[in-house]
Amino acid sequence: MAKWIAVIAVITVIALIVWISVRDNMAPQQAPDRPATPAKQALTIWWAQWDPAVGLQELGKDFERETGVAVTVQQIPWSTYQDQVFLNFGNKQTDFDIVVGDSQWIGRGASKGLYLDLSDWAKASVKLAELNATALKYLCEYPTGSGKLFALPCETDAVAFAYRKDWFADATEQAAFKAKHNRDLAPPQTWEEFRDVAAFFTRPEQKRYGCALLTGRGYDSLVMGFQNLFWAFGGSWGDAATFATEGHVNSPGAVAALGFMKELVALSPPGGADMDYGKVMEVFRNGSVAMSMDYVAFFPGLSKDMGDKVGYFAMPAKDGKRAISLGGQGFSVSSKVAPAQQELAKRFIAWFLQKNVQEQWITKPAGFTANQAILVSPEFRAKTPYNGPLADSMDHLQDFWNVPVYNELLSAAQRLIGEAIDGKSEPKAALDALAKEHAVILKDAGLAK
Amino acid sequence: MLKDSTAIKWSFVGPVLALLIAFNVFPLCWNIVLSFTDADLSGGDWQWVRGRWYGRIFSGAEAGPQYALFASALRTTALFTILAVAIELLFGFILALALKDRFRGKTAVLTVLLVPMMLSPAVIGLFWSHILNGNHGILNQLLHGLGLPQPQWLTDPGWKFAAMLMVDVWMWTPFMMLISLAGLNAIPPHLYEAAEIDRASRWTVFRRITLPLCAPLLMLAVLLRATDALKQFDLVMSMTGPNDASTQTLSALLYQVMFQGGKVGLGSAYACVVLVVVIALATVFTRYLDWLAAKQGRA
Repeated sequence: MAKWIAVIAVITVIALIVWISVRDNMAPQQAPDRPATPAKQALTIWWAQWDPAVGLQELGKDFERETGVAVTVQQIPWSTYQDQVFLNFGNKQTDFDIVVGDSQWIGRGASKGLYLDLSDWAKASVKLAELNATALKYLCEYPTGSGKLFALPCETDAVAFAYRKDWFADATEQAAFKAKHNRDLAPPQTWEEFRDVAAFFTRPEQKRYGCALLTGRGYDSLVMGFQNLFWAFGGSWGDAATFATEGHVNSPGAVAALGFMKELVALSPPGGADMDYGKVMEVFRNGSVAMSMDYVAFFPGLSKDMGDKVGYFAMPAKDGKRAISLGGQGFSVSSKVAPAQQELAKRFIAWFLQKNVQEQWITKPAGFTANQAILVSPEFRAKTPYNGPLADSMDHLQDFWNVPVYNELLSAAQRLIGEAIDGKSEPKAALDALAKEHAVILKDAGLAK
Repeated sequence: MLKDSTAIKWSFVGPVLALLIAFNVFPLCWNIVLSFTDADLSGGDWQWVRGRWYGRIFSGAEAGPQYALFASALRTTALFTILAVAIELLFGFILALALKDRFRGKTAVLTVLLVPMMLSPAVIGLFWSHILNGNHGILNQLLHGLGLPQPQWLTDPGWKFAAMLMVDVWMWTPFMMLISLAGLNAIPPHLYEAAEIDRASRWTVFRRITLPLCAPLLMLAVLLRATDALKQFDLVMSMTGPNDASTQTLSALLYQVMFQGGKVGLGSAYACVVLVVVIALATVFTRYLDWLAAKQGRA
């Protein structure tokens, strides 16, 4: 008896699994005698899974109301976004019409023929003069500065700092800082001032630390964090024309920047030598640090959670030179979809970049615009506490290599700079090795001689 | 009659064979072909590059600093495999010895011990990332409460590898325990009775009866775990990411090169080398198992 019960139970479970698997396909089909409705025009956009993508989907509904073209923004988790996009490009036809791609991808997309060349169309259909020139240069052009456009700005971002406004405003802290440094405790304007403020707030016995910098080893956060010092201190990834790296990556300024960054990491909480975009926010939220470095796109959530306790400032300068890691992404049209879909995609991009739509875009969480008139307007600066620092950052943005082998270059930079931060190598030795490794990669790719 | 029986055989074997060819043999052959090309993940034309990638892999740093990563990932993988399998075998066998005899609640204890093995490695990696978090992780809070130092398990390069090893040991020790338990239970009781009559010491019983008779099953467990540990990927991805020098295993390097860098040709060459290493190790183990079986047969 028990044997039969067991057999019946197994059969029932199998039948249940089969039914659950096929029930969607068993849904009643449209009756054949019903007149078929004409296929609705639709556009698919792929973007990473985060707040701005939700905002873009909302704007997509406005586009649908105006044009009848349905817009679907498919959000893919950040951790697999790049893999999925380039795997999809491996197909004869992509599942997306538009991809909102990282600035670093543009060389790969353009040189492999994956992104549509938008240069001629954009000049005729988009008011390019209205867009911030730096955003256009780094988010959309390949080769950088060539004027050839393979994208148009979607979300324009920059690395900046969040700081504990309440700690800075505290009268006791103010007095103590003034007594020590003979100046007011305020958001730092230079990297030296930044170090002073970070050292002032570093009190391990109170579990309070000066700063949290982007130092994560996963994808690109260490490089995105280091670049802000690297460029300001006089370093450079190389000669854009010859792709020479020796003397650029390991210049005296670059070495000084890495040494200085190590000093700052010592003023960060335990684990500060390996903090990605999420971790720097985590230690800021839990009250461990006075200042945290991150992309501005992460700040709306912070303001929502911490209210007036948090303020923001743009990247400090070194000897009057301010340089900031670019963030954000541009819209690129897939070359692997039908021409009609490409036309629809272009239509959406042109619509999105209109000033009135951009005014809607900036009302969405982390909906950062590249429209210059909006960026410089007092209304934009007043709208949120982080808009001002973002607008101040725009003209100082720079980017990592965006050539097709950017990922190998990035991977080497993450590893060797990381070793210096961990104390496994000296800054000079690490950057000498990096200059050499980058030179080999660029030569191998046929870019450097 | 013969014809009918052949048809029946093929009707059983055919579909499985077709699936094996489609999903195992063909991808393997295609991977070998790709390893001689400069194919890119995002498609496009590719060129034959002959043995360029193999040459670079075996030249290491001489071919370019980035090719030295293979040697580093190989070292990390080998160290991880040796340590993980050895510790899991030791702990698993000790646990099996402790659980060999009947006692009240044995089933419940066994069930609880087997839980880690039944969870997905990705899930385990994620929840251990929270447990080991240097700032809010429960382990460091516990250590703080006990007045002990609190390492930055997932961010300090000196601890990352140890943290990953610890999680793997936690996850797979039950597997070793289960196999060891099966081996222990298969030993005929009369051997122990004879040893008792001969007044053999506990150590002698363990050395002369328990260990030799369990050895074939233990070696099988080591073989299974070693081939699995050689492919370690899930924990690396969920705990530190694929590009972390402290924990970059061969599979993580392969992912980094092929999926992040898009270099399918080079990635395929890495995969072929890894495959050869795994086959070589598996052959050594199976030969050892054969030798052990023959020896026991003679005895």
